[in-house]
Amino acid sequence: MNETMRAGIGTSNLDDASLAGRQAAERALGHISGRRPDLMIVYSSVRYDLPAMLAGIRDVAGDVPLVGATSCGQMHDGDVTPPGEGLAVLALVGGYRFGVSHVSNVSADPQAAGRELAHSARRAAAADDMPYHALLVLSDGLIADNQGLLNGVYRITGFAVPVVGGAAGDDRRLLGTSVFCGDEVLRDAAVAVWIGAPRRISVACAGGWTPEGLPLMVTSVDGPVVREIDGRSGAAVYRENLGPDGPGGLNAAHLGLIEPDGSLLVRAAFIGSDGELHTFTPLPEYSAVRIVRSRPDDLLDVDSDAVASVLNGFEASVVLAFSCVARLDVLGPRGPEEAQRLQKAAGGIPTFGFYTYGEFARTTSVAGYHNATMAVVAL
Amino acid sequence: MNPVSTTRAEASHLSEEVERLRLSLAKAEAAASDAFRDTARLIRLLTAVGTPSPPEGLLARTLTVLSEVYSADVTCLAELVGDRLIVTASCGLPEDDPAGSGGWVIGPTARQALNRGQPLARSVSDSDEVPPSLRGIGVRFAAWIPVTLDPGAGGELLILFRRRPEPFKQGDLRILSSVGYRMTSAFEAAERAAAIDRLAKTGHELARHLDMPRLLEEAVSLLRTLTGGDRAWIVTLSNGMAHLGVYAGLPDESMPSWPRRIDALPAWGAARHGEPYRWQTTGPLGALPQTGLCAPVMAEGEAIALLCASGTRPRLLGKATTEVVTVLANHLAVAMRNGDLYRALARSERKLRQRATHDPLTGLANRVLARQSIEDALARQPRMGAVGLLFCDLDNFKSINDRLGHEVGDELIQKVARRLRECVRPDDVLARFGGDEFVLVVDGARSLGDIMEMGRRIQAALVQPFHLRGDRVQMTASIGGVLGMPGQATPSELLRDADAAMYAAKGKGPGRVEVFDAAASHRSLSRLDLLSDMPRALQNGELSLEFQPIHALASGRAVGLEALLRWNHPRQGSIPPDVFIPLAEETEAIVPIGEWVLEQACRQAVRWRRLPGREDLAIWVNVSPVQLAHPDLVKTALDTIAGAGLQPGDVWLEVTEHSSLTEECSEPFARLRDAGVHVALDDFGMSYSSLSYLRRFPVECLKIDRSFVSGLAESETDRGIVRAILAIAASLELDVIAEGIETDVHRDVLLELGCLRGQGYLLSRPLPPDAVTELLRATGPAEGGGGRRSPVRRRGAHSRLTPR
Repeated sequence: MNETMRAGIGTSNLDDASLAGRQAAERALGHISGRRPDLMIVYSSVRYDLPAMLAGIRDVAGDVPLVGATSCGQMHDGDVTPPGEGLAVLALVGGYRFGVSHVSNVSADPQAAGRELAHSARRAAAADDMPYHALLVLSDGLIADNQGLLNGVYRITGFAVPVVGGAAGDDRRLLGTSVFCGDEVLRDAAVAVWIGAPRRISVACAGGWTPEGLPLMVTSVDGPVVREIDGRSGAAVYRENLGPDGPGGLNAAHLGLIEPDGSLLVRAAFIGSDGELHTFTPLPEYSAVRIVRSRPDDLLDVDSDAVASVLNGFEASVVLAFSCVARLDVLGPRGPEEAQRLQKAAGGIPTFGFYTYGEFARTTSVAGYHNATMAVVAL
Repeated sequence: MNPVSTTRAEASHLSEEVERLRLSLAKAEAAASDAFRDTARLIRLLTAVGTPSPPEGLLARTLTVLSEVYSADVTCLAELVGDRLIVTASCGLPEDDPAGSGGWVIGPTARQALNRGQPLARSVSDSDEVPPSLRGIGVRFAAWIPVTLDPGAGGELLILFRRRPEPFKQGDLRILSSVGYRMTSAFEAAERAAAIDRLAKTGHELARHLDMPRLLEEAVSLLRTLTGGDRAWIVTLSNGMAHLGVYAGLPDESMPSWPRRIDALPAWGAARHGEPYRWQTTGPLGALPQTGLCAPVMAEGEAIALLCASGTRPRLLGKATTEVVTVLANHLAVAMRNGDLYRALARSERKLRQRATHDPLTGLANRVLARQSIEDALARQPRMGAVGLLFCDLDNFKSINDRLGHEVGDELIQKVARRLRECVRPDDVLARFGGDEFVLVVDGARSLGDIMEMGRRIQAALVQPFHLRGDRVQMTASIGGVLGMPGQATPSELLRDADAAMYAAKGKGPGRVEVFDAAASHRSLSRLDLLSDMPRALQNGELSLEFQPIHALASGRAVGLEALLRWNHPRQGSIPPDVFIPLAEETEAIVPIGEWVLEQACRQAVRWRRLPGREDLAIWVNVSPVQLAHPDLVKTALDTIAGAGLQPGDVWLEVTEHSSLTEECSEPFARLRDAGVHVALDDFGMSYSSLSYLRRFPVECLKIDRSFVSGLAESETDRGIVRAILAIAASLELDVIAEGIETDVHRDVLLELGCLRGQGYLLSRPLPPDAVTELLRATGPAEGGGGRRSPVRRRGAHSRLTPR
């Protein structure tokens, strides 16, 4: 198992789902000399006939372990495929051991689903003899309680096994996201890959958000709706605190949960069509928050730091990134710069990622589901 | 001052002021942020603890929030078991982490925290204070917060491990201590509520298990769940002994052997007073110490069982567990009492059912159950086969019953039942249908051949003689069998046809089997049919008389004639007397028939007495006990005799030794005797109380039963009996007639013994009247006179009404 892992990335923008899948898979396999991959990761626009797309990939790659998610665009080797355009495939072979699992009907009991997901993945990997472990999780991005899913995962992994991943997107449509497992396209579901590794795996999470104004207390929450802040309408308080950038800058202003160490756990927030303040992930009631804002440069600066921390001097084979689509929104026309910065920080190591509706990066404590961040891991 | 420089200075000053204000603002915001964070942290913790939920959910939620708000990589609850801390709940440790099974040896700081009852925190840096699975991955700080509420439940700690280089502060410890107590308190309350809730929901369901093993199994399962013990068992107590009822959980070699004396149980001292008993053992080296709880199940102030649970969790010794187990014990007491009552009721019902459906003498099914079995069998699918029915009637049982008494008769019935039971298949239903009648229901019979075979097996089972209080009795049965198809036959039809087949068998002689197919059944008449035809037989002219002469043995001449009744049924032909006489008695048709027989016999006697030398010819007529019970018998009989032109002294009335020949019957006999009619006792010697009849009835003649006569040649016993009868008769001056003389030897021996008269096939079969006339003419005048007393007798010869 001293073999170095090889990673091959392939993309396609062809309109035909099957052909696009085939093309991306062929390109990815080309980079690993056509070897049978140990794992394939697929990120795709929802514009495709997804089963046909997966079938196209499997026509080329065969019946190999495959996971993936719909996205809001992909990043690969410094390039960006914008939301709504194409798909990207990563093929990995050698060096690591992978075990794939999936769970459905996650909303009914996210914790139980998370527990089952991690448990099955670990069993599938049969990698107890490997010295280090990590878990890659991809989930339906419109599940209300991805933190609950992570809590369940945590019961199996414990704090010593890092968890990383992202919540699926749907090209910003907010209509329906999916995850992939084998040839299945699943909703209200999650897939996981237990990773048995020859070396320690580090996960990092970069924010780049700056708090503004005084702390606020969330006093009433109803799932993803923040009904009250400081005992008043959550939406009203949010608007008041947006400051001179006003509603026009909604995408650039979110809520930061104040962590014990004073850091902020960013939760993407927006005023919904119902006029209420929404978050993708429910906020804990009676949590202390601050309005956080970001400027493009702030976001881009922290990305490099995150990559540097996970590489930490080891010759990785690939850097996986999960960046919130909210960041792409903040960056605006400078969107492609994030992928470039990422690649620059990774040097010659391939980079592969997608734009998400949320990021899994459990580093300290159980709180590991983020918004508006970029989570990275190096394999 | 240069305005420009002034302006610059002001600007610089303002700039510094702005910067200062900015810094102040940042500080103020940071302070506010800290204040909010601390407040939010506390509120979140209290909310987590305060939200009602199941116990496990509450712990998981609170530990998760603790992990979040204190940046703890691992938060856990651990119990002190012996010298080891065992994790009972955690956030951050995998479920299968060894810290939850074997734990780790408690470190000095944790022990100090427990001993002092104070929260402590320190830098740990991968020391022994950290569970093995957390060593080597950079845990830097830990906090131990004692949370034990119940002093009896051992030590329990809330422990937080943190990798981040930030020690736990004193303020944190105060909050953690408060939250820790609240959490365990809420957990115990939730656990107790859940246990009570479960007991409330399921405890009463114990009562649905009415049989003890299932009740105890359910209870022990509940006990183990409620206590969280590794093992649970229930000991039942009775008669000073303790028995292991049921057992659940891990095997334990240290479990004592059962049963044991109650007073040898460590728990007995407390249990006898209704108190729970708790214990703690150190166990073998290297093993975790065991704690245990034992609660008595009380019924009417007595301990009837013990609920016991043990394991490594000190919580077993807690108040909450004791309370819950006590409630369970109360439920179990009620359920056990219910079970007792139910079993008593069920026993009574079984007895009642048994009585209603079984014959008390033999234990076999009775008539009701037999009929039900036939109905059930006929209600099944035809593809299951036909239903066979065998009707068995013991031959000559009545005479055995009369001869040896009812008790012996009952014993014989029991022995016959045992033999029959042994020869039938387990699924067949054997029933005692009446006195000496048995019915066998054969479900799934294939053919009449099967039924015939079954009948033969029954016959074979009876071949060996029965030993009854010193007597050897040979028994046979007449068996009739039929086959009925489900959906076609009815129980009544089957019973009727089998009964008819049985009588057909009986008509062919004892020990025969007859099976009827549908056509034969159709042709045959059941006893029920005979019963309904019997009363009309007389008026339909179906009855007739034959006469068997009574001979003087020395000369061979006829001295009297015994009238014998015959029934020629229009469809059935000749019906055996054994069959129709009981039916006539049953319907009391015997009364008019008896009168008719006496009248016919007397008229015939008058005719014969007109023959030369036959003027003394006596006529013998049998009388049934049913007739004797009739108030008009004496008058009618005397009128009939006179009406025919005979003197009372010309007539002998014969009565059979019979169980129904009661004391009341002696009165009409006495009156007849006083009027001059002679009385004879038939079948003498067959009854166990033969001699008592001689005392009770005005008997003048004994007829020796044919069974003794038939054994005269070879049986010294029979010869002795005949000799004794003759001696008795001589001493009482009674006449004697031997019946059933079939050989010259019989006659010679009887003559040798001193018996002067007799009847039997050797001398003459029963004959129609004309043939008798011929016989009388051919043999000339009666020697010595049939109706007159012989020299040794006071009383004369006779005939019988009921045919033989």
